[in-house]
Amino acid sequence: MADTFHLLLHGFSIALTPFNILWGLIGVILGTFIGVLPGVGPALTVAMLLPLTVKLDPTGALIMFAGIYYGAMYGGSTTTILLNTPGESASIATALEGNLMAKNGRAGPALATSAIGSFVAGTIATVLVTMLAPLVIEVALKFGPAEYFALMVFAFTTVSAVIGSSTVRGLTSLFLGLFLGTIGIDGQTGQSRFAFGVPELLDGIDVVVLAVGLFAVGEALYVAAYSSRLEEKIEQLKGSLWMSKEDWKRSWPAWLRATVIGFPFGSIPAGGAEIPTFLSYATEKKLTKYPQEFGKGAIEGVAGPEAANNASVTGALVPLLTLGIPTSATAAILLSAFQNYGIQPGPLLFQSQADLVWGLIASLYIGNVLLLILNLPLVGIWVKVLTIPLPLLYAGILVFATLGAYSLHQSVVDLLTLYVFGLLGFVMRRWDIPVAPAIIGLILGPLAETQFRRALAISQGDLSVFITQPISAAVLGVSALLLIVPLVFSLVRRA
Amino acid sequence: MKAKPAEFIISVAIVALGAAVAVGTTRLSGGGGYARIGPNAAPAVVAGALILLGLWLLYEALSGGWRNAIADSPEARGEHSFLTSAFVWVSVGLFAEMLLIDRAGFVLAQAALFACVARGFGSIRPARDSAIGVVLGLGVFLFFVKFLNVNLPAGWLKPILGTAGI
Repeated sequence: MADTFHLLLHGFSIALTPFNILWGLIGVILGTFIGVLPGVGPALTVAMLLPLTVKLDPTGALIMFAGIYYGAMYGGSTTTILLNTPGESASIATALEGNLMAKNGRAGPALATSAIGSFVAGTIATVLVTMLAPLVIEVALKFGPAEYFALMVFAFTTVSAVIGSSTVRGLTSLFLGLFLGTIGIDGQTGQSRFAFGVPELLDGIDVVVLAVGLFAVGEALYVAAYSSRLEEKIEQLKGSLWMSKEDWKRSWPAWLRATVIGFPFGSIPAGGAEIPTFLSYATEKKLTKYPQEFGKGAIEGVAGPEAANNASVTGALVPLLTLGIPTSATAAILLSAFQNYGIQPGPLLFQSQADLVWGLIASLYIGNVLLLILNLPLVGIWVKVLTIPLPLLYAGILVFATLGAYSLHQSVVDLLTLYVFGLLGFVMRRWDIPVAPAIIGLILGPLAETQFRRALAISQGDLSVFITQPISAAVLGVSALLLIVPLVFSLVRRA
Repeated sequence: MKAKPAEFIISVAIVALGAAVAVGTTRLSGGGGYARIGPNAAPAVVAGALILLGLWLLYEALSGGWRNAIADSPEARGEHSFLTSAFVWVSVGLFAEMLLIDRAGFVLAQAALFACVARGFGSIRPARDSAIGVVLGLGVFLFFVKFLNVNLPAGWLKPILGTAGI
């Protein structure tokens, strides 16, 4: 423990250099800005900025990306509360009560409880990451290819089958991503797969093009076609920002409960920040002394979900940094940022890149403080962002989105691929097929394949290696249960 | 029970993609060495899974529609009905950019994209939108070329940007 403290102090000495503070500040400002914009999530932002990483040093770039990642969680709540259009999916639960509070002229306390709650949960979760990561590494160092493969299968199962409205559509999205992941040169034999002689495809499909295509182009096509002519009503920010004594008394237990709910969901690869926000909302609704206020703007219903989503996104850094396994679309793109530098997150990262990892973790503490300042006294500025007219907003998003894709290889082929993925994104959005599993499949698929083939090379082709090793067997067993149990339930219900 | 056309088409497309991957897989070499697992193993699994999932979707589509899907009518989703012109304008913007970027250069291509997308979202001020597009494109161009040393095509504006020392 003393050792961890020492490493963290060292991390602060890196995170507090002027340049890294600057990158962190740029990250949280961009993140908040993006979070506030309706329709633009953190995954898209990090993806658009990924091509920049070639010019920055890895520590600075990753500190900036981490800032965007959780800055967007803070910013998203502002949009949700004032516009009732969740900026990202983890804010849906907040929308239930937050927008109603704003309608009742209590926008100030709603924004305050979500910002302070995000800060409390984010900071506690960062402490937990700091303490937990070294422990996970101890275990992870003993993992072989079979265990890694099993953990990746688990991550695939949770992000595609457990989350979302339909197991079959989640799995379809996942396997589309896995298919895209097989395109290009096979890393182990040098054989080209599904490239059809197109030289641009030999390098494989870049996650930037897929993520930007699905999120930015697909979203723009969808919104233009289906909701660009709708009237939007922005709630006014009037009255005091301050929370009354009563508000505080009702908020803080909700923040703490939500942290306890949110953190594990992020840190065991159980994917997504949506489930814990809904769980927290349900918990608060059950425990409140003011059940009559739920559905009319209860402050606990804002405090809980907002804290839960921050705890969960911070928790997601544990599997990402210690195992190299992303549990959300944004985490998957962060993983690809590491890969751009030739760095593979995993237990060895904490030894080979100790400066980077601990600098990054220390920057989370600093970032949360910066975000509290950015989101409370300066909330008025962000409210103005909401008044950007839709045509200019989406035109601007597409300028930056296509820039991100084009600057990868200065190639029109990437722009065409981007449009194709945009059409795919439109279809997936319209017919309710989730996009996150496809992105995770694309980035994690080739890694899973490598681990699978390594495991079999070690076992000399004996497939039983996955079920004779206890950890691998247990993880694969749980994944199978997660897939089969809901299926059986639905069959039983129908019978 | 009649299936919704879109669900039917998507389901069949997934099956077809799986079949295409399966055909492609047969052209890949199998595993050698100790692993006995080669570059064709993962595509084979993907092909099988896509075919199965496509058939499953097809079954759902034919037996009352995909389960738990969002509402079919835009009104029930709180949206307006499909606006073809909006969809087309956004697409036109993206294709205009593809055609222009290597010839006319980054700034003009982004300005065209900006104006078309804004039009697609209902803006009726093409001159203003084009102007904003030029300014935005120019700002991004200068930032990338000057500050990040990332090369972007100057195109037709090369004489102007060139004399400005860029």
